[in-house]
Amino acid sequence: MNECRRVRENLVAFLGGELGEAKTEKIRHHLEACSRCGRELKDVQRIYQSAETLSPALRSALDGVDWEARAEKIVQTVWTKESSQRPTPRRKRFLLFAPSLRPVLAGIVGGIMIGALAMFVVFKGSILQKKGSEPLFAPGEFLDRVDLEIARRETLNYLEKSHYVLLEFMESDAGQRKFGPQSFAVEQARELLEKKKFLNPQLERARMAKAKDICDQIELLFYELSQVSEALTDDERREIQELIEQKKLLLKIKLLRRELQESEV
Amino acid sequence: MEAKRVTGNEDVRILLEKARQGDRAAFKAVVCLYQQKVFLLAYSMLRHREDAMDIVQETFLRLYLKLGSYEREKNFQAWLFRIAKNLCIDYYRKNYGRRNELENSRRIEEINVVADDGPDNPVSQDLRQVFSRSLEKLGNRQRLVFVMKHYNGLQYQEIAEVLKISPGTVKSLHFKAVQNLRRLLGPELRMGS
Repeated sequence: MNECRRVRENLVAFLGGELGEAKTEKIRHHLEACSRCGRELKDVQRIYQSAETLSPALRSALDGVDWEARAEKIVQTVWTKESSQRPTPRRKRFLLFAPSLRPVLAGIVGGIMIGALAMFVVFKGSILQKKGSEPLFAPGEFLDRVDLEIARRETLNYLEKSHYVLLEFMESDAGQRKFGPQSFAVEQARELLEKKKFLNPQLERARMAKAKDICDQIELLFYELSQVSEALTDDERREIQELIEQKKLLLKIKLLRRELQESEV
Repeated sequence: MEAKRVTGNEDVRILLEKARQGDRAAFKAVVCLYQQKVFLLAYSMLRHREDAMDIVQETFLRLYLKLGSYEREKNFQAWLFRIAKNLCIDYYRKNYGRRNELENSRRIEEINVVADDGPDNPVSQDLRQVFSRSLEKLGNRQRLVFVMKHYNGLQYQEIAEVLKISPGTVKSLHFKAVQNLRRLLGPELRMGS
């Protein structure tokens, strides 16, 4: 069987006369003895014969052509095309897109793309965070200072208004103006009492202790004023004026305001 | 004989050198020497006369444009055939797929291949048609090797230079081509014998 396989593999070379004398003789002996390999040989010979049937058609195709004229036509065509393809001086293209600048352009475009990508990566988080409603994070110390500053401004505002009310009260003379429940100073005192309620939590801070003490005294005074049901008598007015003077409230308010203005956070 | 061949090759090289310098007559001489061989290769591959003529013209146009890159020590015929072969393969891929479908609509069993009495005999024409169709069914490389060996009369070494492969591979491709033709022709071979 191995011998048959070896012979069949060499049948084409055997028919083409491409094998050495010894090998050719060996194959010939085998073919005489082996009918199956003989049939294979006949198949290959038949293929070669079939291939030969195309040869006349090829020869007749060659015969019907005026090759001299064809050659002239080919040369003419080549010469015409060659002259048209000969490079002619072209207008210079826009310098930016010149081939020599293409690597530079590619570098610039690449750099822009990488930069855009980096910016996207860096700012992506903050952009996304804006969409949500997550709380703003800030250091505790910063928040304390903000609160203190708000308290300072509110207190200053409270003291200023209180100062005007008390000053108006102190400058009033006997019989000149009556302080009744509907008078402007009493209404102001009531408003300031309301404001003091909101100011109280801020005055609880250690740094606002001094302000708290004065504000409490003012609150007490305003409380008295707000409780009046009818116009104050001259005696009652004088009594309050003496109390204000005794406690030096106006002076204290003035000093405290200055202190608060100077200790801006 | 060998001396004459070498002298012939030298003559071709001189002609090519002159053609490269723009000598029209020298280039025409080269065309006259090789156009029939190129035509035979193209016609064997495409089996269409006008297409083969187009391939010949295009081959010599490419040759002229590439003359500057030709190296003197190379086998000119193999180089020229390589240009023609590439053009044939491109042309075949572009234009022959659909045409073959239409032409091959006739079933192989309908074709009578019993006798082969001559080229004008209708039975011989059928055998030629069957063989032609079987040849077209081979892969490009197997078909090229078979065509160049049987119709262009090239040796394995020359075919190897055209296809840029080793002579051993050429032999192997030829063997496979014969085996495939045997398989494709199968029953018709027995009937013929």
